Amino acid sequence: MTGVRVRGCTVAFGGLRAIDDLTLDIPANAVTALIGPNGSGKSTFVNMVSGQIPPRGGQVLLDTDAVTGLRPDRIVHKGLARTYQVPRVPKELTIDEVISVPLLYARSDRPLPGGARSAADLARYCGLRPEVTTRCGRLSVSDLRRLEIARALACRPRVLLLDESMAGLSLEDTDQVIGLVRDIHASGVTVVVIEHVMRIIARLCSHAIVLNQGRLLAEGPPPQVLTMASVREAYLGKGFTL
Amino acid sequence: MNRSLLTRLGLYAAIAAPSMLLVATDQPFLIQVAIGTLISAILALAWDILSRTGQVSLGHAAFFGIGGYGSALLTPVLGPVLGWAAGILLCGLVAVLLGAVTLRLRRLYFTIATLSFSLSIQVLILVTPGLTGGSTGIMPPVIAGGSPPLQLLFVTGCLVVAAGVSDVFLGRRFRPAFFMIRNNPELAAASGVPVTRLKILAFAVSGMVAGLAGSCYCGLYGYVIPDDVFTTNWNVLPLAVTVLGGMDTTLGPIVGAVVLRLLEELARQAVGGVGYQVVYGAVIILFIVGLPEGLAGLGRVVLRRFRPPGEGTRIKARLAS
Ligand SMILES: Nc1ncnc2c1ncn2[C@@H]1O[C@H](COP(=O)(O)OP(=O)(O)O)[C@@H](O)[C@H]1O
Ligand SMILES: [Mg+2]
Repeated sequence: MTGVRVRGCTVAFGGLRAIDDLTLDIPANAVTALIGPNGSGKSTFVNMVSGQIPPRGGQVLLDTDAVTGLRPDRIVHKGLARTYQVPRVPKELTIDEVISVPLLYARSDRPLPGGARSAADLARYCGLRPEVTTRCGRLSVSDLRRLEIARALACRPRVLLLDESMAGLSLEDTDQVIGLVRDIHASGVTVVVIEHVMRIIARLCSHAIVLNQGRLLAEGPPPQVLTMASVREAYLGKGFTL
Repeated sequence: MNRSLLTRLGLYAAIAAPSMLLVATDQPFLIQVAIGTLISAILALAWDILSRTGQVSLGHAAFFGIGGYGSALLTPVLGPVLGWAAGILLCGLVAVLLGAVTLRLRRLYFTIATLSFSLSIQVLILVTPGLTGGSTGIMPPVIAGGSPPLQLLFVTGCLVVAAGVSDVFLGRRFRPAFFMIRNNPELAAASGVPVTRLKILAFAVSGMVAGLAGSCYCGLYGYVIPDDVFTTNWNVLPLAVTVLGGMDTTLGPIVGAVVLRLLEELARQAVGGVGYQVVYGAVIILFIVGLPEGLAGLGRVVLRRFRPPGEGTRIKARLAS
């Protein structure tokens, strides 16, 4: 299994450094939480690692493979897949067609998780209940989130980055997705979840990385990290105590 | 083999049948009208293939003209088969170059770039009389010895080829990826799709099919001037035809070409003079506003009414989103 290494990377939007000379390691064989207040650069981190917004300087390594500056589709072939915080799929495509895109284009020898063989298998694996011939324009938000995970899994990733896949889901749906993430991890995929709900992080993740203003604020086992004064301060403001 | 293949073969037969009927019943006027209509249909199919990747062109007259001029000028050198093949390949090559240059342009900027391109190609023809005949035009070898019924059969064959190409790009390998590129290119790339390569592929195929249409057109009468092919008409027509008939389908551009021609004739009969063009334009706009999915979309809605309820939602066709 593979981890991700980031070495001295910066992503700037005009004067704003959304990722600021960041160096960190994401351990293999783990479910890692990537946390931080809104605007701390979590989504930008995913965009950077997946090649959508290449970093200015620095290096991104997938295990020992440098993927810095590669096209996003090449990075997918190398084994990194990501989901989008706000899923935007063409409304006129069906569930089956959306999942079939990475199945056809992200060629690799890695097996699909859960013994899946087709788009329909993957849809079922991710808990999508509507028929695979349903058009995406008719799916609920929680089904769009599941479809986004299924699409990412169809890339046959070694490393999967989930950007707020559970935000806004009901408790029941959240529990299902937690179970799904555990399953994906058990099938040998390194998982990174961006998440705000501490309860979920505590249940799901064995490692946590905290970003603040594009820099690494803290990392370590979730119970320790979540109780650190600096982390609480970043979330809640200076001088706030519980 | 399977049902969808049978459906497709049925569609191609249905496309070819009216032409056969016209040829069999020997209707000289209708045969002339049909030849022109089918050439518009081929050009509209070419335009639609490109638009499926979100690239809305207003410059297809360039490929129409380059294909026509290329085939015409290369046939005396290479013979008819190789001459046409070379003319059409030239369109593909030009399309790849234009596609690479316009790749990063968004929507309207892309469209304006294609329009400017078609204008500059016309100028290029005008300033190279030694090679291209300049404003006096050229004399392309005529198709099928100039016999209209045989020309109609030939153009029908070309339309079936264009329909087959269109269907390949509506198949499982390309349709979902193309729509994803149009709707959300980042998502396509994050799904492993080589976005740039597919956009340029679509451009090349579209340019070649448009070149086929132009080759047919130029081979009809044996005489062509630049104003016949490099005109705004051939830039706008494929868009109007496709939007009228229905985007993202093979049947849409063909139905659209026929209906547009009918509208034109009706307006000419009813209004006459040049005033008919105003009426004809207004009717096209009404159709587009009233039927955002085009006639093919209307057909789907009607079919659904007669079938047990399944999917009831309408998906709006968009020009570029
Ligand atoms: N495409 C962009 N253009 C300009 N600024 C951006 C862009 N994407 C993100 N930002 C800015 O970068 C910072 C980090 O954003 P983001 O990575 O989305 O944060 P998070 O996901 O942690 O909430 C924010 O200040 C945001 O406004
Ligand atoms: Mg975010």
